[in-house]
Amino acid sequence: MSTQSPPVPATHELAEPPFSPALVEEMLKVLVKGMRAHQLYLPNNPVYQRALENLKRAFLPVWSHVEEIALAISEADFRWEGRVVMHEANKSESLPWLFFKDGIRELRLMKGFEEQEVVGLLDILKRVKKASPEEDDLLTLIWEKDFTLLRYRFIDLTLENNAPIEASVPAERPEPLPPPEQMEAEPEARPGIVRIEDLDATVHFLDEHEIDYLRSEVQKEYASDVRRNVLAILLDIFELQTGKPVRDEIADILENFLMHLLSAGHFATVAYVLRESQELATRARELDGTHRTKLVGLPDRLSAAGPLSNLLQAIDESATVPNQTELNELFEQLRPTSLGTLFTWLSRLQHTEVRAAIEIAASRLAAANTAELVKLIGSSDVEVALESARRSGGLKTAAAVAPLGKLLTHEAPKLRLAAVQALAEINSAGALQQLERAVDDSDRDVRVGAVRVLGARGQRGALEKVEAVVKGRSLRGADLTEKMAFFEAFGSLAAASGVAFLDGLLNGKGFLGKREDSEVRACAAMALGKIGTREAADALQRAQGDKDVLVRNAVNRAVRGGGA
Amino acid sequence: MSRVIRRTPSHGPSQPSADYERGGDSYIRRRGRDFIISLYSASRALKLYPLENAAVQNALKELTALADDMLKHERELELRVSGEFIFINATRLRLDLDNYASFSRILMMFRDAGVGVCRVEEGAGPREWTSLLTILQSATNEDVPARFAHVTGRLEAAGIRSFALSGPTDTDDDEFREMAKEAAKRTYAQSVTVTKEVINSVRMGRSPNIKKIKRAVQSIVDQILNEETSLLGLTTLRDYDEYTFTHSVNVCIFSVALGRKIGLTKLQLYDLGVAALLHDIGKSRVPLEILNKPDGLNDEEWRMMAAHPWLGVLALFQMRGQAELPYRAMVVAHEHHMKADLTGYPKHLRERQMSIYSKIVAVADGFDAATSRRVYQTEPLTPVAVLAEMRNNPRRGMDPVIVKAFVSLVGHYPVGTLVVLDTFELAVVHAVNPVPEAISRPIVRVISDERGNLLHPGALADLNQQDGTGRFLRTIIKLADPERYGIRVSDYFA
Repeated sequence: MSTQSPPVPATHELAEPPFSPALVEEMLKVLVKGMRAHQLYLPNNPVYQRALENLKRAFLPVWSHVEEIALAISEADFRWEGRVVMHEANKSESLPWLFFKDGIRELRLMKGFEEQEVVGLLDILKRVKKASPEEDDLLTLIWEKDFTLLRYRFIDLTLENNAPIEASVPAERPEPLPPPEQMEAEPEARPGIVRIEDLDATVHFLDEHEIDYLRSEVQKEYASDVRRNVLAILLDIFELQTGKPVRDEIADILENFLMHLLSAGHFATVAYVLRESQELATRARELDGTHRTKLVGLPDRLSAAGPLSNLLQAIDESATVPNQTELNELFEQLRPTSLGTLFTWLSRLQHTEVRAAIEIAASRLAAANTAELVKLIGSSDVEVALESARRSGGLKTAAAVAPLGKLLTHEAPKLRLAAVQALAEINSAGALQQLERAVDDSDRDVRVGAVRVLGARGQRGALEKVEAVVKGRSLRGADLTEKMAFFEAFGSLAAASGVAFLDGLLNGKGFLGKREDSEVRACAAMALGKIGTREAADALQRAQGDKDVLVRNAVNRAVRGGGA
Repeated sequence: MSRVIRRTPSHGPSQPSADYERGGDSYIRRRGRDFIISLYSASRALKLYPLENAAVQNALKELTALADDMLKHERELELRVSGEFIFINATRLRLDLDNYASFSRILMMFRDAGVGVCRVEEGAGPREWTSLLTILQSATNEDVPARFAHVTGRLEAAGIRSFALSGPTDTDDDEFREMAKEAAKRTYAQSVTVTKEVINSVRMGRSPNIKKIKRAVQSIVDQILNEETSLLGLTTLRDYDEYTFTHSVNVCIFSVALGRKIGLTKLQLYDLGVAALLHDIGKSRVPLEILNKPDGLNDEEWRMMAAHPWLGVLALFQMRGQAELPYRAMVVAHEHHMKADLTGYPKHLRERQMSIYSKIVAVADGFDAATSRRVYQTEPLTPVAVLAEMRNNPRRGMDPVIVKAFVSLVGHYPVGTLVVLDTFELAVVHAVNPVPEAISRPIVRVISDERGNLLHPGALADLNQQDGTGRFLRTIIKLADPERYGIRVSDYFA
């Protein structure tokens, strides 16, 4: 099928080529451009698509003359018909060098290669350009690809000079041999005599059932998680072999393997190691203290801020979003102490889908570790405290009430607000009691949030504070929303006892017949609506024809919803 | 994908010695495979149904279209049956689980008809294919030339001119065989060297070069896919001093050949080959004085020897400096002495299933180890006895389907077995007979005449050949011990 390629003759001896070398030169130039485009752009990028089209077109002039083209490869050159058709001395840029360095000495491209297989080759070249020395070389990648329209000739640089096996010199033997006939006649045990019953040929054909069995075994082989199998083996060895050196070695392997698995994103397998190592620590015979500490400490190490931050960063920067189930499986094995790091990272993650995935995993971990969650409310890291406060509320964690109450004194308003919201969600008597402290908070949002909840929940204990605000001067300068919140809360909490005061604000006239400010009167109307008694309704009715639009609207709304 | 090895001038000592060519004929392999399956479907349909039946007509139409397409693309279409192989336009087709039956039947049909080569000319339509297939399937019991004459005569009488037939090409074409033999020798030598280097590296505490291992396995896979007989023959080279290394290479060759037999893809064969070559790497952590101890091992020594499967896992973790660890090889190294139900040694605790690759390597390992002479086994068992034990003794714990496939691979008389024929000639088994039913009638190389005069290199003979009366020309009557005759079987393969 192929013969040894002749030595390249000196240029002056070269025969006339079948067509102009310029066509091959052009084809190779375009190939290099295509390679660059393949490295720089995604397949849907128009620049890439154009480069690929150009590349396909560049082969056509060559195929109009021949159906196959052979390129000899040296360090810096591609030669065709003995002529240099590409020269690139700079190794980092050189396509010939890329092939040459891994032992490829000739490429044969066949018609149709540019349509069916060129992208496969570009993929390989891209991979090889980026590859570290420990990754597969070009030769292996091309071998694995099993090209149809590309052939190559190579020398194997990994092999030493192995002399081929020569026919060995025949051993000394008698000449001629004793005829087998005579040998057979010897009266000796004849274990080698052929028995016809051994030769039932039919038993050696695989039937359909057996072929199906083999097929399913092969499928199973590739469907199973081979890394997990290897880990199971390692853990078995650790458990069964009690020698210290062996266990030392396996403990080291496990630790390194864990890092390898993490960086490769095999989270379920990492979870398996963590889970099994805990089991192992309790089950293995003659386990010494160092090994036990190492095994038990694996989840601790991964849960520590440094490694976990690295993991989260790697996930965020990875091109693919991790599988949610695998991520959950891993996070379930983490120590509660990892929550703080997770919360810190939630606000930093750039990848939306990754954030969503981590969010879910973090929620599961938090739900399973509320004590740690409560502890983190007091974290000095504002983001951690904030996330912990929010999740405590979401989980209605009763134990969080006291730390949330404490958080109401924090200097950061967003934390105090988060505490208000969390306490509102917890909604226990203790939580509402803590909320009363926020009624006179220095931050408007905190006050509004707290007073609305207190009003809505009918927290009578807050009436005194709310009343003081409503009747005080500070509220006069507040915006309408805050005023409304306080008045409505006042109405809800004071009930009938507040009607006279509110009626006075809505309908009363002051010195020289001057009425209260419109906003205050509108708020009083809404508060009366909250009270909903006959007296309150009477007061509202009296104001229904008020000339002030703001007041009239508020009255009408209060009347419509007030009794409710 | 085929690989043709170029015969290169010798290199200087520092030069790499190998020069190879790979790639290129996957089209013909793919379409050729389709062609054989289509040919089989049409012949089967013709046998089962009347000509007017839609199934027959469709099969013939499909066959015609496929042949036309290949003629258009390749400008020629030649089917050649040679040895156990089918070639289309000089490219050998691969067997796999999906075409296993079709290939066997077509091989048999051509052999029975005494036809070796069939060139398809343009204009072969359903009528022509019907005639050809019908005539090929009505083989007579005459000798080969007479059968061939019968077929060509009938085609002539039917006025069919679209096929040019030739008789059998005997066995493989000599040039192809010679090149394959050279390639096999080089592959074998390089694989042994690499294995030695790897095992010694591990023994010295160094990290072995996985790239060399991969390259060696790639060559073995190519070789097995291309022409497995030569490489399988080299497994008879039993180097007493280099047992550990040659054994690893032999196990790799048997495993890859068995993998091919059961239809693994090229990349799966690659995974299997790497695992098989490294299956005994744990022995590099067993002291040499135990490995080479000629007498029986005491309990402690046996314990250390029996540790090599799990030591292999640790040794493979030593293979740093690569992107991905050889996980499958680790599993196989650990499991190759286990029984199919995971009993045996080493013990296991965690639930898992045995890898099919471990089952394959276990069979290959068991066969090669039992048939080799080693420091502690000066009287190796005969291949036949080993196969019988593997097949009949369930306590060996080998997967019966894999064993069955292995017997089908190596035959009742594995390659390299010395046999006495009923003609009182001595012969060395050269290859399994390609006719599946003739598993006990291998192709042999007759190495002595009936008076004991040695013939070198001797001629190949197909023990399935019959005379005009249906009597076999030669039959094995006995296995023989090569030592007793002073014969080194490997001389006939190297």
